[in-house]
Amino acid sequence: MTRLRGTLGSVALPLVLPGVLLGLVVNGVPDYHRSPLVHAARFLQDGKELYEIACADCHGIDGRGVDLNTVGFDVPVPDFTECSFSSREPDADWIAVASAGGPVRAFDEAMPSFGEALSVEQLQSIMDYIRGFCDNNRWPRGELNLPRPLITEKAYPEDEAVTTVFVDLDGAGSIINEVVYERRFGTRTQIELKLPFGFRETAPANGEWNAGICDVTAGLKHVLHSSLERGSILSVGGEIKFPTGNEGNGFGKGTGVIEPFVTFGQILPGDAFLHLQGIIEFPTGTSGETEVVWRAALGRTLTQAHFGRTWSPMIEILGQKALGGGSADWDLVPQFQVTLNTRQHVMANFGVRIPVNGSSQRPRPTQLLVYVLWDWFDGGFFDGW
Amino acid sequence: MNSNSNGAGRVVGTTQPYGAGALLLVPMVAVLASVGAGDTAFPTDSLSVNRRASIHGSVTFAGSVPDADVIDMSMHRFCAAAHAGQRVTSQPISADANGRLANVLIYVKEGLISRIFPDPVGEVVLDQRNCRYAPHVVALRTGQTLVIRNSDRTLHNVHVTAANNRGFNIGQPLPGIESKRTFANPEIGIEVACDVHRWMSAVIAVFDHPFFAVTSENGEFTLEDLPPGDYVIEAWHETLGTKTETVTVGAAGSAEVSFVF
Repeated sequence: MTRLRGTLGSVALPLVLPGVLLGLVVNGVPDYHRSPLVHAARFLQDGKELYEIACADCHGIDGRGVDLNTVGFDVPVPDFTECSFSSREPDADWIAVASAGGPVRAFDEAMPSFGEALSVEQLQSIMDYIRGFCDNNRWPRGELNLPRPLITEKAYPEDEAVTTVFVDLDGAGSIINEVVYERRFGTRTQIELKLPFGFRETAPANGEWNAGICDVTAGLKHVLHSSLERGSILSVGGEIKFPTGNEGNGFGKGTGVIEPFVTFGQILPGDAFLHLQGIIEFPTGTSGETEVVWRAALGRTLTQAHFGRTWSPMIEILGQKALGGGSADWDLVPQFQVTLNTRQHVMANFGVRIPVNGSSQRPRPTQLLVYVLWDWFDGGFFDGW
Repeated sequence: MNSNSNGAGRVVGTTQPYGAGALLLVPMVAVLASVGAGDTAFPTDSLSVNRRASIHGSVTFAGSVPDADVIDMSMHRFCAAAHAGQRVTSQPISADANGRLANVLIYVKEGLISRIFPDPVGEVVLDQRNCRYAPHVVALRTGQTLVIRNSDRTLHNVHVTAANNRGFNIGQPLPGIESKRTFANPEIGIEVACDVHRWMSAVIAVFDHPFFAVTSENGEFTLEDLPPGDYVIEAWHETLGTKTETVTVGAAGSAEVSFVF
């Protein structure tokens, strides 16, 4: 769930495909539960005062949580001063839990619902105050963790595991699975490992299939800039692709590739968002060409009423050309991501990669792509359904 | 606390307006009952107002009341100030020197011929005052509104755990806040707790008929406006369990029953 903050800044809006999302007329603004306020609480707006009245009895004046011996539940109270925890999720998720109670995100019912007592504006004031318990602003805020496209690398560092299936829909058959493991280090750094493997039909298609491992990749990403006020995040990184795949069977390039990249995320009005990524692919051997890759993903998040499931339709534009010249290849990937469970830490994305121009030296089939993403920091895969 | 202070007293009171209109309805209901109700008898108890009776009684505790737990409110400034100079205890067995037992739920367990009753009227209030629930035992009808109020200048959460109804946990951080809930299914022993002040507890009972009461501080109760018949009356206490008695109520008469725990 994405809450929009700040202004556009200098966004590369020309990349926006006009009208792509015009059909998405569903109201994407979370439908917070509103109840009549018939008591004095409605006059209070100061976040600190509201926190101390409504939250501190359990979460502590200092945000570290009270001694469980003084309260009537035994569920550990989170430490708001621990930035690694308190910076990850957007305000909207916190407000959902504060308003509707822990079960709305499959957390313990010990967290009461305050939606009948406090307005969304008051809960936002409390959130603004709670954010102050983390005194290190180098942690990128969870609002900048935009929905993950199928291909484009997002700028936000994550603790997640993703498995993607690529199925060729024409030409010789190919079903490739890619398992990605991402882990954060410190405030702004993340490592990544990619293990692709699968099955490819011998070309031309003759019904004979080979199984194999493709080129394994290791990567590193670091956030250079993040600003909640501007709604933007910029990261740089690099990946090393090892020639572990059999080139003759189509599982690998036959050469290692070093891929430095820059990636940028921007929150847009109306719960929309934009990803941009640029890559240069340097082959380590003498056989390949240096190539330039650019990617963009534009989408919008729609939330079902009462803090429910989120849907994020996106369109990705993928381009690639040899640095030395030649024509560029363009692909489009319409897709939608959807949260699968109540905790909203397991989600899926479905899309089709469609080659726009076919005049290249790189023949690309139309591909079906599906991923399942597990944000493992938020709980086990089977938690929170 | 007065007997019938919440559900029963108010509800049965609403049966009084029936008169000429009820006479017109009688043939209709009789037809409906004969067509679709099978073994359900003619629902005289819901429509006839001329043959009503009441059951009055008392509940006593014959054992020795165990020592009460002393409540330590020192970590909670508002609560401690509200009870400054007092020794506050937690004692589910609320019996006086004569053993008269309060907070006992009394209800008709068996004997109601019909299940057609007037809709519940009015709201039942569960208040949080000076960091205690008032009343401690709340009884109401299915579909009847329970108003949960915070009268304290401190945070309470109302954590309701039910077996046959939907539980909930709501935060009430300021005085004057009210939340309203209804319960769809009959259930005795729905637990109410405040996790902030763990000595706070209350019990909710939900009935699908209007014949119930909670004993007052002198251990007395009255079940009013019962149609004549033979009834099994049950007394329920949150820690002492249940006792049952069989009572026969004559037309326009009254009956006495007592329970001893």
